[in-house]
Amino acid sequence: MATSPRGLVAVPQRIQARLTRIGVYVTAVVVAVFVTVPVYLMLTLAFQAPADAFAGGRVNLIPTNPTLRNFRVLFETTATSTYFRNSLVVTASTTLLSTAIAVSAGYGLTRFEFRGKSYAARAILFSYMFSPIVLAIPLYVVFFALGLLNSYFGLTLALTAISTPFTIWLMWQYFQTVPIALEESAWVRGASRWRTLWDVVLPVARPGYVSAAIFAFSVAWNDFTMARVIMSDENLYPITVGASLFLDRPTIGWGETMAVSVLICIPPFLIALFLQQYLLQGFNVGGLE
Amino acid sequence: MATIHLEELRKVFSVGGTDHVAVDGISLEIPDGSFTTIVGPSGCGKTTTLRMLAGLETPTSGRIRFDDRDVTDLRPQERNVAMVFQSIALYPHMTVRENIGYALKIDGVPKADRDEKIEEAAETLQITDQLEKMPSELSGGQQQRVALGSAFVQDPDALLLDEPMSDLDAKLKAELRVEVQRLHKELDTTVVYVTHDQTEAMTMSDHVVLLNEGRLEQFAPPTELFDRPTSAYAARFIGTPATNVFEAAVESGESGPVVKGQGTTVRLPTGALADRVGETVSLGVRPQYVTLDGGDHGLDVTVEVVEPLGTESVVHCRTADGTPFDVVTSDLAGVDPGETVRAGFDTEHVYLFDAGGETVAFGTDLREPEESP
Repeated sequence: MATSPRGLVAVPQRIQARLTRIGVYVTAVVVAVFVTVPVYLMLTLAFQAPADAFAGGRVNLIPTNPTLRNFRVLFETTATSTYFRNSLVVTASTTLLSTAIAVSAGYGLTRFEFRGKSYAARAILFSYMFSPIVLAIPLYVVFFALGLLNSYFGLTLALTAISTPFTIWLMWQYFQTVPIALEESAWVRGASRWRTLWDVVLPVARPGYVSAAIFAFSVAWNDFTMARVIMSDENLYPITVGASLFLDRPTIGWGETMAVSVLICIPPFLIALFLQQYLLQGFNVGGLE
Repeated sequence: MATIHLEELRKVFSVGGTDHVAVDGISLEIPDGSFTTIVGPSGCGKTTTLRMLAGLETPTSGRIRFDDRDVTDLRPQERNVAMVFQSIALYPHMTVRENIGYALKIDGVPKADRDEKIEEAAETLQITDQLEKMPSELSGGQQQRVALGSAFVQDPDALLLDEPMSDLDAKLKAELRVEVQRLHKELDTTVVYVTHDQTEAMTMSDHVVLLNEGRLEQFAPPTELFDRPTSAYAARFIGTPATNVFEAAVESGESGPVVKGQGTTVRLPTGALADRVGETVSLGVRPQYVTLDGGDHGLDVTVEVVEPLGTESVVHCRTADGTPFDVVTSDLAGVDPGETVRAGFDTEHVYLFDAGGETVAFGTDLREPEESP
């Protein structure tokens, strides 16, 4: 018991378990510090007037005088509300389009046999491996030819192109977990294929398409590259691009920049808050834990 | 209600370039309102046949008719059938009430009428208390009842059941067996039931369809299937323990042909099998008809294992050349593993199969009134 076959002193189980636990805690604390500190800095700067935040030549980390002044400045002197609206429009349409494509393609890949199906499936995964920037120049050329530059529709298409490979793959995996007997039993009872999809398949696959929608949402909401390439009209900038311009302006300081960052964080935060259970279920099936 | 006609029904699956014949030219007529069981070992094509009746598989060739209506090319939605699946297939996001009433909802039946029918079905199946629950809250037996209930409200031409009890324990099976039969009486519809369990086939049905590798082996009422199997396969598949079959030969005796094998001689009535003298045949006799004393004929067997079943026991033996031979008896005196006993049987309980396994004679036909044992 005291020595292992190689003559080393064996570590008792209890100590091993304790070491493991300490290791987990240390890792958790380090990760938490790296995530929480920037978020805290953002919040504390966003809710203090610049004069208070930088009083005395150093950053005041504990707000004594919380205020919404920075947000007021943002909305009164900049186009933040336009940027925010642009982001919402493009994100919502990308999420809808990408999820709709993913559901139809995923269902088709799962339930229908056709020539070249495995190639199609592999092509989808392969196309996901490209970085968006690789697509940017070709898409610019295509959209220029089609006259889709500087339009919500153009940006929506570009973002859908980036998110669909993964969402299709996710839905394809998810539909495979829906037993065919459920559909067959609905057909035998007289439900058409579409009706079955609506009444039976989609409700059962809800965690799957909610995950797909969340993924498409995050791609669209966080996008910077595509918007920068496709939108040159400032009135059409999404908030990511718009906010990046603030730092160049003399009238906008750190307080306002942090305030716009808070605004950017709100929608993803709400989604994570309300839909996290679906997110975990969907990604479980997709093989991502 | 409908008489179901199958005409030369054939289904070939092509997987990776090789053809697999699942159903190979089945023709039969399932009578209106009957309870018909399709039985056979795994892979004999019974589920495929049922799925073709439902419209979930398209036959490669052959026709299916419900009464005079050719349904071969109709989609499942266009046939008025109800089906209970092996996996039960309840919709996990609907309550029991919604599950049972789904077919009615599709048909556009108003909610009040729907509820009335659902409650009637629930009462018949004793699941009234479960109506507002979700399927995941129910036990396996209750889920199965819900599945039956969905079929019940549909008032189908045919009710198809695909091994609905294969996942249930023995006690529940016995309970649901009664339930299914009661449902059949109430619904007054044609029921086609698929199972691999020959006990279910024997106890529940009016008619049994026995399949063997996609071909129809025998289509007959259970008692006929038991008493007059048309082949060694049917004789061995139906009944537990399986029918004892051993090799024998037809020889010419003093007063006409006799069958000799394993040291026993079965005399045949004058003229019978005269054209088969010299052929190898098989003799079959059900373990239930073998006695350890008496019988017209007898052979010596060595006892290997004794399985007590309560009132009677199954004695597993082997003949001198190693062929398994089972005996069902209630008298175990002197029966111990290793002992040699004499297994006796009467001519009237014998089946005679030719080399290809077809039945050539039944014992009841071989009996000669004037013959004394």
